[in-house]
Amino acid sequence: MRIACPFCGPRENSEFSYLGDAKPKRPGPDAGEDAVYEYVYLRDNVAGEMAELWYHGGGCRAWLQVRRNTVTHEILSVEPAAGAGAASVTP
Amino acid sequence: MVEPSWTATTPLSRIYAPGRHGVKNDAARLSMAELTGFELVQVMARRGMWSPTDQACREAYGQAAPAKPQATRAEGALLIWSGPDQIFVLSPRGSSLERARLAFAGMASLSDQSDGRTLLRISGIKARDMLAKVCSLDLHPAVFPAGAAAATSIDHTSVNLWRGEDSAGDDGAAVFYLLVFSTFAESLWHTLLDSGAEYGIAIDAATPWQG
Amino acid sequence: MSAADQTQRLAKGGLIDRSKPLGFSFDGKSFAGYHGDTLASALVANGVRLVGRSFKYHRPRGILTAGSEEPNALVELRTGARREPNTRATTIELYDGLVAASQNRWPSLDFDILSVNQLASPILVAGFYYKTFMWPAKLWEALYEPLIRRAAGLGRAATQSDPDHYEKAWAHCDVLVVGGGPTGLAAALAAGRAGARVILCEEEPTLGGRLLSDGGTIDGLPATDWIAQAADELSAMLDVRIMTRTTLTGAYDHGTHAALERVNDHLPVPPEHQPRQRLWRIVAKRTVVAAGALERPIVFGGNDVPGIMLASAVRTYINRYAATPAKRLALFTNNDDGWKTVDAAIAAGLTVAGVVDARQEASADQRALASKHGFAVLNGVVDHVDGGRKGIGSIEVALAGGARATLEADGLAVSGGWNPSVGLTSQHRGRPKWRDDIAAFVPDGAPPGMSAAGAANGAFLLTDCLREGHSAGAAAAADLGFGGSVGAAPSSDDAPASSLTPLWHVAGKKKAFVDFQNDVTASDIALAAREGFQSVEHLKRYTTLGMATDQGKSSNLQGLAIMAELTGRSIPQTGTTIYRPPYVPVAIGALAGHHRDENFHSVRLTPSHHWAAERGAVFVDTGLWKRAQWYPIKGEKDWLESVTREVKAVRGGVGFCDVSTLGKIDVHGPNAGTFLDRVYINTFSTLAVGKARYGLMLREDGMVYDDGTTSRLAEDHYFLTTTTAKAGLVMQHLEFCRQVLFPELDVQLTSVSDQWAQFSIAGPRTRDLLCEIVDPGEDLSNEGFPFMAAREVLLRGGLKARLFRISFSGEMAFEISVPARFGDALARNMMIAGEQFGVTPYGTEALGVMRVEKGHVAGPELNGMTTAADLGLGKMMSTKKDFIGRVMAGREALVAADRQVVVGIKPVDKARRLRSGAHVIRKGEIPGPDTDGGYVTSVCFSPMLGQWIGLGLVSRGRERIGEIASAHDPLRGEDYEIELCHPVFYDPEGGRQRG
Repeated sequence: MRIACPFCGPRENSEFSYLGDAKPKRPGPDAGEDAVYEYVYLRDNVAGEMAELWYHGGGCRAWLQVRRNTVTHEILSVEPAAGAGAASVTP
Repeated sequence: MVEPSWTATTPLSRIYAPGRHGVKNDAARLSMAELTGFELVQVMARRGMWSPTDQACREAYGQAAPAKPQATRAEGALLIWSGPDQIFVLSPRGSSLERARLAFAGMASLSDQSDGRTLLRISGIKARDMLAKVCSLDLHPAVFPAGAAAATSIDHTSVNLWRGEDSAGDDGAAVFYLLVFSTFAESLWHTLLDSGAEYGIAIDAATPWQG
Repeated sequence: MSAADQTQRLAKGGLIDRSKPLGFSFDGKSFAGYHGDTLASALVANGVRLVGRSFKYHRPRGILTAGSEEPNALVELRTGARREPNTRATTIELYDGLVAASQNRWPSLDFDILSVNQLASPILVAGFYYKTFMWPAKLWEALYEPLIRRAAGLGRAATQSDPDHYEKAWAHCDVLVVGGGPTGLAAALAAGRAGARVILCEEEPTLGGRLLSDGGTIDGLPATDWIAQAADELSAMLDVRIMTRTTLTGAYDHGTHAALERVNDHLPVPPEHQPRQRLWRIVAKRTVVAAGALERPIVFGGNDVPGIMLASAVRTYINRYAATPAKRLALFTNNDDGWKTVDAAIAAGLTVAGVVDARQEASADQRALASKHGFAVLNGVVDHVDGGRKGIGSIEVALAGGARATLEADGLAVSGGWNPSVGLTSQHRGRPKWRDDIAAFVPDGAPPGMSAAGAANGAFLLTDCLREGHSAGAAAAADLGFGGSVGAAPSSDDAPASSLTPLWHVAGKKKAFVDFQNDVTASDIALAAREGFQSVEHLKRYTTLGMATDQGKSSNLQGLAIMAELTGRSIPQTGTTIYRPPYVPVAIGALAGHHRDENFHSVRLTPSHHWAAERGAVFVDTGLWKRAQWYPIKGEKDWLESVTREVKAVRGGVGFCDVSTLGKIDVHGPNAGTFLDRVYINTFSTLAVGKARYGLMLREDGMVYDDGTTSRLAEDHYFLTTTTAKAGLVMQHLEFCRQVLFPELDVQLTSVSDQWAQFSIAGPRTRDLLCEIVDPGEDLSNEGFPFMAAREVLLRGGLKARLFRISFSGEMAFEISVPARFGDALARNMMIAGEQFGVTPYGTEALGVMRVEKGHVAGPELNGMTTAADLGLGKMMSTKKDFIGRVMAGREALVAADRQVVVGIKPVDKARRLRSGAHVIRKGEIPGPDTDGGYVTSVCFSPMLGQWIGLGLVSRGRERIGEIASAHDPLRGEDYEIELCHPVFYDPEGGRQRG
């Protein structure tokens, strides 16, 4: 498979590492054990479109959010993570 | 007391053998060399500071900081894109780290990588065929013209690859430069030699990077 | 042997080069052939019919096809280390001196003892192994498995390492054309003329495909002239690449394909520095599959007798190779295309024994041909063929009216119609669709960007192939925006469409083979149907239909058709199995490419590697690294003696160790401190500039991830170190934290692992050594450079270095970093300067001994299942801030009182060797899952204590210090008493490292 890195262009899959579902967001410091448990362990097993986190470690080291169809393997979009590069992000 | 002597070595200096490698019955169709004596500074713009970093680059080096995968010849340095909002400044050994510190103070973070990378030059009419054995990128002249750069992997190891100006020699062939992690350099060098052996390789004497 | 001995070679014609005679041997007998032959065509030319024995019944088998789909003619090619089993004789290009042997026979091909399996065939049916070797279970290892293994398999793999080189390479194009027959050539011409970058892959050594066998006229030119013209035009295009001897084996996601190039298989030995095979990964924006079609056999009794061959293959041997598979040939067909073989046979001067045509009536032309050449046209089917290893005895025909007839012939050409090659287009789970008019599946739902044309798309007429190829090539290029003129499609006025009446199977009593290679018969399919294995996937696995090396190319459809008939369904209702890569067998060597032996993976070397190698260091593989494990000196009898010497030298004087393998990361930016507070359990924002601190990272699930020392070099610059093993992963993790979890923090990260050569210098005389290296202006005293200080220093000679007052050994120690190009010089300088103090380089083994003596945890304890508290580091966890893993680390099970925690372990018998992996059991208890109380994680012989010591993870270990427990080591059969003790064995007060 090939992923079009928004910075580098289309690259072969061995340049990337897969992390998993991009949907869960890390709970704030006061969220409590249940919320963190859910964030760490509970995942949907999506057959179809899914937002995933990939790391272009064999290239520009950007973390990417990839929308991919897990059935057809079609890649619908690839976006940089919010904090890739020098992006300025307000909390 | 014996005063310590600081003889510099490169990761290849103990195995480097200028001369012919591989097929020897024809003219070498591939040339390879280690380029030494360079300084390499990693410049990473701080958050929200890419524009000032770019501006500072124009002022200090006379060229825009490459914002996409390119290698740009600038005053006394080559500016190589190395990732989003980050570049390498490659220059002959001197005081380039100090120069970069002054240029980018407060807007970018700098790391000295002069010893962290080994610089190789690959040229000749079979350069693309040899690189096709180790590199997954499309290096066709229309896709990867002179000045194009890439952060990619060879043998599962990160490298920075760019294409310089075409060879001034008889073949006028493309010239590729490869920055590889120093601790992998010996291993990658052997892999490149194996990959190019069928074309006949002229290993040139290691020379200092001249820009 | 002279060329004259090729008794079945036509005097003229064919595309072989008669000016280049070649000699070869098969089963020890010498033969002759010509350049341009395959092994199969050369055997045909020499009248060799029997080439192998079948897998299960050891039936004598001949050559069935002329291509890579061959199920029967599998041979061992070459000898010695280059011996390659199961090689298809139909794809082996003949070279001078080629040596091949038949396989799956003993003692000889003619007389094969295991052919008695045929007598046992009533029990060797589908599912035989499943049904027979079920019980008693204990007989499996002793009896069944060795028995099955001896009988199974075809050829023998070489027993020596393959001396040849294989490699992998990448290629990129706009339009990939799969197949160099008329369709592929037309496609490549159109796409190339339009201006697209084209790669054309052709499996054979020459372009042309079926044109080489069937000829024809294209644009007024004889086929071979047209091929040459097309090849010339393509070669002249700068961006068109023709890859012959290259089989496209797989279509993967997003336009990635795999192709196997047999670079030098046509030579006895590859030229120096050249690979034997090259596995290509071809990335294409569009793909035109012009892979043609494969003729299919008809299933009837004795249809595997040597001498029975596909009709198209007979034509190939006659027309392309000028080799005649028979003197007197019969044809069994259900379509007009098969009749072309009659034409070819007549043109070659063979006798036609008769044509058995399953269709109701032959055409007037066909009848006229028959009467002209004096052969019968029989309306009916071949009921069975009698014969064996000597070839065909007689051909028994069941006529349509019920009468029977017999044909005498030494060759039978069979045509059951053609199957488009739908493998590639179906590899992404696209299911091909059925076309009644050609009684075959055609592509449907190809992967994005892929289209099929010509015979691969069910268009069997030459002119249709040319037109479809041209238009597919043009469309692919146009789709990508290439606007060059593609010219007109080539055309041909060949024969009208072939009529066909489907015929799959002639029922009868004799063994009728569906899958030749796996010996699956029509009755096996009937048995599967009776026993309920009616789904095609069940049918496949129960009978092994289509599971041989040919993947059922010439058998799957007949099998499906028979199952459809038996279950009263149509063929499309019955369906096909899933098509998967690779299309043809690919050698493991090609898949491995360059990555074997010393090139198995890339290797990382430390800056002092060559210096250490000169000293005779023994290296150990640590991930990709080679690390010096110990430095033996003359007279030392084993590693333990060397390591013990190194430890004593350090603890009594001074030694140094290259620790450059540790991961090193520059953490920059105004928020670097806050960032580290979130990734470490302890606090770094308060660390003073010029100081170092030991840090521990957790995973978000609360388990320990990694540890290391991090120093603050400037207000906005930390220098973080990781363990050797986790260097890459920690970098990835930190980038994740920076870019995804905490993008609001202004932090920049970069790996500087390779920039610095780092050495640990340890022992009471460390300062003495350093004073020889470091500029006298630097204050290295306890006051000037206290424990956990970290700063840049000047070295003698003007070099700048970083010095860290940290200790892993528990001794007075520093770590020193210099730019990597001076790492080798630093090691040599320390040896010279330290000679007066007996300076001793030490390796990872001594490092490990000293860390166990000091109770420091390392890899065996940081095993992904331990918490900070388990390691005795629970107090480091800050309660004043959030950090990764904080919440989950507080879970009930992770703070339970009975957790296994790090303790020291000593054998009660001081002379005894301790072994890691031994289980810790309370004294007097019977070892078992319920009584298991932990295990020994790390051991060493402690030179300081003069005995073996270790660390372990032991339940409630800290409460049990002083307890005598049992070590139970079932792997080594050892049980002995141990004492649980404090994990710091040496200098528990830590005075030495602070001194």
